[in-house]
Amino acid sequence: MSAAGRAGVSRGILLRLREQLEFTKKGQELLKMKRDHLASETNKLLSKVAERNKLDSRLMKAYESLKAAYLNLGYSGLASQATIVDKMEVKVRPWSIMGVIVPEVLVEKEANMNSISSPSAHQAASELNALMKDLIQLAEAESRIESIAYELMMTNRKVNALERVLIPELFELIRYVEGRLEEESLEEFFRAKRVKQVIRRSKQ
Amino acid sequence: MRSSSIIYLITRTHGRRTHLLTSESIKTISKSKSLSEMVDQLLRSDYAAEISKLPSEEADSVRLEKIFLKTLVERFFTLTTDTRGNVKEFLEAFAARIEVENLKRVIRAKHAREKIEEQNLVPLSREYTLINFPALTKAENIEEAVSLLRETDYASIDKRLEAYRRTGHPIVLESFLDRIYFTRLWEKLEGMVEKESLKTLVGEEVDLRNLQLILTLKLRNLAPKLIEEMIIPVYYRLSKSNLRSLTQGGLEDFPEILAGTTYDKIAEEILRKSKSPAVNLETVISKRLYQDASFALKNLFLKSGYVIAYLLFCEKEARNLVTIATAIDLKIPEEELQRRLLL
Repeated sequence: MSAAGRAGVSRGILLRLREQLEFTKKGQELLKMKRDHLASETNKLLSKVAERNKLDSRLMKAYESLKAAYLNLGYSGLASQATIVDKMEVKVRPWSIMGVIVPEVLVEKEANMNSISSPSAHQAASELNALMKDLIQLAEAESRIESIAYELMMTNRKVNALERVLIPELFELIRYVEGRLEEESLEEFFRAKRVKQVIRRSKQ
Repeated sequence: MRSSSIIYLITRTHGRRTHLLTSESIKTISKSKSLSEMVDQLLRSDYAAEISKLPSEEADSVRLEKIFLKTLVERFFTLTTDTRGNVKEFLEAFAARIEVENLKRVIRAKHAREKIEEQNLVPLSREYTLINFPALTKAENIEEAVSLLRETDYASIDKRLEAYRRTGHPIVLESFLDRIYFTRLWEKLEGMVEKESLKTLVGEEVDLRNLQLILTLKLRNLAPKLIEEMIIPVYYRLSKSNLRSLTQGGLEDFPEILAGTTYDKIAEEILRKSKSPAVNLETVISKRLYQDASFALKNLFLKSGYVIAYLLFCEKEARNLVTIATAIDLKIPEEELQRRLLL
């Protein structure tokens, strides 16, 4: 809707529009700050995700150790050795980054593998356990990136909408209102002059 | 003077040995592309009776492992039926390694407060053991399980409960079970007429078990005093001072301490040739044990050591078949499998 199509102009409206513009600009600044912060957070997390390849090769190595343990002990033997390992306990709690709720995974209790009596089973369990912590961190980073990327996209849209649509529209509206007000004041001035002239003529 | 019953036992064992799969057969089986191909090849062996009961589509490595272990148990205990007196007692003491393995599995499960079913154990028929495994599997915790062993040969395990509670490591109890097993086997061996050939095999197995235990616990950095407490107190080719030096020294000292003993190459193979000693430890130790058995089968032809060598070979065969079935299931490359086989 063009500014010309709008009705009702007054000084009050102009003041309100100026306040609104000021507020929108502040909002835009804040959203830009949020966008930058989220982008830097994503960059930090991307370095963790980039280690995925290394993790994959470590995982393959751990699987090799696990296969060796299977070959040494058979399924039932390894299953028995596996029962002895205490379960790893993790807690997932919500964490806010610029209002974006992301998961934070805390390892509350690590698995204890000292009780495993078979050396090959112990080796495989140790390698897999060391990987578990890194896999949890990777999962946390990937999940955070997912949430942040969505919010980043939304924030970017909001910033663009403010920058390219809302703020220019407000500017145009203010200009229109200012123009109308100026016209109105000129009209008033002219009318007052005419009234004065008419009064003067009637007195003469 | 050798009794006629021993001669009969050795003769029967010679006959039974012909039922074992040869190294060539094991190699051929290891080249199977699938479990059904492996099953087909085993249909001409002692495993045929059990395997033929298994529908081919249900043949998986877990079920096959059960069959191999069941056949092993049958072979162990069938031999005891051919004997009487001291020899029978000795062979029963030797076969008790299966119930010891099952007891270890129960202890591990009870330590973790996990449920354990009888199917998770080595299939040991009730007629071959005095231990009430169904009751043991239902025990709430280790203390209850240990109390159920009160009337058995393993009653003294309750002495180690305090050490277990202190350290929290069930390996304390597992090693004590080995200690009870080998001490009793050694005692029974002393009662045998012809004990030298038996001592070679049993003595070397104890030495190798002690070596494996010390190396395993050293890799976990356990206190030397605790390791010393867990050692099996049977000293064959490794003296008490040898074992003490091993527990107190570092891993790098192993080759030096074992130099001059018959186990010097083992330390080298485990520690120097491998980046990660734990991975190859069991394979190297097992290979050495079965090499000794192989030597005994060739050289102790008419001695009672031949019987123990045969039993060790039965065990080796079962382990090899379990390894092959697992390898086929996990699609392990053939070269890797060949390296793992105990030939």
